[in-house]
Amino acid sequence: MISYNRFLYDDIGNKYKRKNLYLLEIAELNEKIKVGGDSKKELELQLNRLIDTRKTHPYNIKLNKFKEEEKVFLKSLKTGEKDFKNTLDKSLPYKARKLKIQLFIAEEKYKFYKDYVDLAYDAKLEYEKNKLLKEELPKIIEYIVHETLAIEKALEDRKKIDLNNENKFKLEIKEFKREQKEFLGEEKRKLKEKRERGLISKKAQINEAKILKQKYKEAVALKSYDSPLKMNKEIIKSKKHGIKRNTKLNLKILNSNISDIRRTNPIEVEKRRAKIAYLTFLFPGVGQIFNGQYRKACIFLLASLFIYLIGIPYALGFGNYQGEGIRGLITLAEGGRRVDKSLIFMIEGILAIFFVIISLFLLYFSFKDVLKVEKNTIKGIRPKNWFETKSILGEEGFPYVVNLPALIVIVFMVLVPVTTTVLLSFTGMDPNHQSKFSWIGIKNYKMIAMGEGLAGSVFWLTLGWTIIWTLVATTLAILLGFALALLVNNDRVKGKAIFRTIYLLPWAVPAFITIMFFSIMLSPNGAISQLINNLWGISLSVKTNATQTRIALILLQGWLGSSYIFLLSTGVLQAIPNDLYEAAEMDGATIWQKLRRITLPIVLFQTTPLLVGQYVFNFNNFSIIYLFNGGGPFEPSIYGNLAGSSDLLISYIYKLTIEKQYQGIGAAITVFVSIAVMFVSFLGYRNSKAFKEERL
Amino acid sequence: MKLFRKKDDLYLSDKQPLSISGKILLIITYIILISWAVAIIWPLFQMVLSAFNGKQEQYLMLNDQFVFSLKHFEYLFNKTLFLKWAKNTILIALATAILTLIIVSFTGYAYSRYRFKGKKASLMAMMLIQAIPTFAGITAYFTMYSVISSINPAFTRQLMLVLIYAGGGIANNTFILKGYIDSISTELDDAAKIDGCSNLQVYRLIIMPIAKPMLALIALWSFIGPFMDYLLPKVLLTSPESYTLAAGLFTLINDVRTLNQPAFAAGGLLTAIPIVILFIVLQKQLVSGLSQGSVKG
Repeated sequence: MISYNRFLYDDIGNKYKRKNLYLLEIAELNEKIKVGGDSKKELELQLNRLIDTRKTHPYNIKLNKFKEEEKVFLKSLKTGEKDFKNTLDKSLPYKARKLKIQLFIAEEKYKFYKDYVDLAYDAKLEYEKNKLLKEELPKIIEYIVHETLAIEKALEDRKKIDLNNENKFKLEIKEFKREQKEFLGEEKRKLKEKRERGLISKKAQINEAKILKQKYKEAVALKSYDSPLKMNKEIIKSKKHGIKRNTKLNLKILNSNISDIRRTNPIEVEKRRAKIAYLTFLFPGVGQIFNGQYRKACIFLLASLFIYLIGIPYALGFGNYQGEGIRGLITLAEGGRRVDKSLIFMIEGILAIFFVIISLFLLYFSFKDVLKVEKNTIKGIRPKNWFETKSILGEEGFPYVVNLPALIVIVFMVLVPVTTTVLLSFTGMDPNHQSKFSWIGIKNYKMIAMGEGLAGSVFWLTLGWTIIWTLVATTLAILLGFALALLVNNDRVKGKAIFRTIYLLPWAVPAFITIMFFSIMLSPNGAISQLINNLWGISLSVKTNATQTRIALILLQGWLGSSYIFLLSTGVLQAIPNDLYEAAEMDGATIWQKLRRITLPIVLFQTTPLLVGQYVFNFNNFSIIYLFNGGGPFEPSIYGNLAGSSDLLISYIYKLTIEKQYQGIGAAITVFVSIAVMFVSFLGYRNSKAFKEERL
Repeated sequence: MKLFRKKDDLYLSDKQPLSISGKILLIITYIILISWAVAIIWPLFQMVLSAFNGKQEQYLMLNDQFVFSLKHFEYLFNKTLFLKWAKNTILIALATAILTLIIVSFTGYAYSRYRFKGKKASLMAMMLIQAIPTFAGITAYFTMYSVISSINPAFTRQLMLVLIYAGGGIANNTFILKGYIDSISTELDDAAKIDGCSNLQVYRLIIMPIAKPMLALIALWSFIGPFMDYLLPKVLLTSPESYTLAAGLFTLINDVRTLNQPAFAAGGLLTAIPIVILFIVLQKQLVSGLSQGSVKG
């Protein structure tokens, strides 16, 4: 059964009575039928009759007549517009001429639609809109014309300005400047005197001097406007700016008033179901054209272009550098040419998938947009015009638009490579299969878990050392840094600034430099080795003894990392209010109690995420391991020839992937490391205040 | 006169006088602090010393023979590509800082001031993805570079490096900046909006000027990053011509052909000095910025 609502609604829910009597009649019948009763059958018959006689319904006849007349009118208006254009004064500024034409059209339309106000909302809208235009445009035009004339007059005046006077004036200004400067100097001297007498503080002196200088500048600037020429130029400049700004502003106000009129004059259509959205969902932009939103359609057509010229062809393998789009992801260049590389096929496949995801998203987005507009139209809400769309885009679309560059960089620089690595971990890429490799399922993971094979056998050993290293080295650095911060923060310690500056150094000097230098100094005849030998008579062999290397690494990281923790804790310690401690002292707390009950909780609470970050950092601290001893010393009997005894997982991965080219298994370990790290960071961030805050 | 003498003996501090055990503790504190200071300064001092010691050739020596000379610096400037490396590093660092600033200033503002779908989830996702070492993508970076550069030869390896650095820093920096902008009262925005500012104007005229200290910090961090990083340049950059300082200096101690440890010390010194000065001057802001971003955010 065909049914309509008796009322139309706008987007803030106001009700409007239908003007289309034919539809109104149907709606009324609908309601009666719904109420039911004895005459239900009869009513339904009546409704069907009504629908059958749609074309001959008096209202429809009237409406059609109106539409035809409107067509004729619009045609004649076009010729009228051309004629009017020719009669326009060519000396008027371009903008004013354009507005005058608009005004002419508005006047004509106003006259035409006046008679049809009661017939349809469309006509009423046109009537009200053009009435507004008719009232407002002349003011804007007058303003432009007036100001333009003023500019012309000013230009005229400029010719009359005596240039000799100008020169004289320049001298005058010079004189004025000198006077003012003298005055300024005098005032400054007075200030200095006051300072010397101890009446004002140094800060006050500086501030006062600044104010005086500002005053001097203002006075000179003001004086310079006494020059007619300068004055004249300024006037022209300001008027030009004014025309531009104010016209823009006025038009904006006008447009938002029109929006209001559009809202209170709902749209009335016979359509009852959204169709366009479903029919055109494959082609973003087309639906918008049907909805009459042409400029919006242009934007969506760009999306169409992307989908059909880039997204889909790329996914199908056209325009690829070497690969075959998504298919390449499955074949991995198997049976391809010699130059074809599986890795390239894989990456292009991943790219293709990302393109497809973007395309699907665009399709969905456009579909949703068209559907919403259509459904609103049926309810009575007019499709947004460009002015309205623009302001909505500026308001609600802002965060999306602004985040776009970040999204693009993250997708291409982070997501694509990470996905590649994840996929690589399921392939057999190794030194013998560099250019062509194939999927091998979870064999890599199996090898790692069981501790089998070339790479797997050392995995658990390395993991063990990595965990020990992370826990011990980071904890050492944290304890050292915190203890030092506590000591330096003691009230009675003097020379705090010096200590802080010195303790900052390990953090400030680029780590790679200190690590390399320590590495040199700890070599058999390096500075530290010799020093220790001289002092205690112990001959160190840090570079060849696994235990010594490990201890040295942990100490070195303690040296490096404590600096950062020291500064961090210092910052927090200084922010703890003193009254807490004073209150505790009153109650008889000992030093130890104060530390345990006040200092530790506050510092820990504030720095937990950063401390977690330190553990994560050390878990992946490639530089120190690789630069210090290259992961060595190497003990082939235990570690094979792929890793050394001080290798962390991260440097082990480096050796596997970059040096020995076991990319497949390296990727598997990377995935393992990444998941572990992500989990730990998640724990850290989850409890951080930033994520708990409600504003997010 | 007697009165005055008495005043000299008065104890004027508002702290309690130290007991004997307190004095001993204070002395121990000083001993610890000073010995740690020595532990920091001594190795660094050795580096400075060896950079100027003319008595050594290819290897660093610690002996009592010290002759002041600038020959290692001369070697550094004449025999190696030190200046070129420095230039590369500065260019990469600048580009990274600028790119990061442009991207992050927008995201920080958007994440702080707007509600949009998937805000919390996307921020969390970004933070987690960020936790993955950059290293994870290294195999892909290689291939991606070769693909892009064969399509567009103007795309250099250094450009790739810049993009990787910038991409890697987005999440953290957004997070930090968001925290900072959150602490700016929204009343300012509202007032500006009532006066007719658009979103972009609020961003440009209100938020950015106030967030300048944090933006400066972010720029500084992104700028220093490439100076500190050794891994990516080593892997991605292939010719000595295109090395950054870290990768270049490493060749001075790792490669037998170019081995010259004192020159490394000299180069390290030259690299470290500007950064150290920067850190010392800005230490307060650096530290407060660090804790602010993660804590108050």
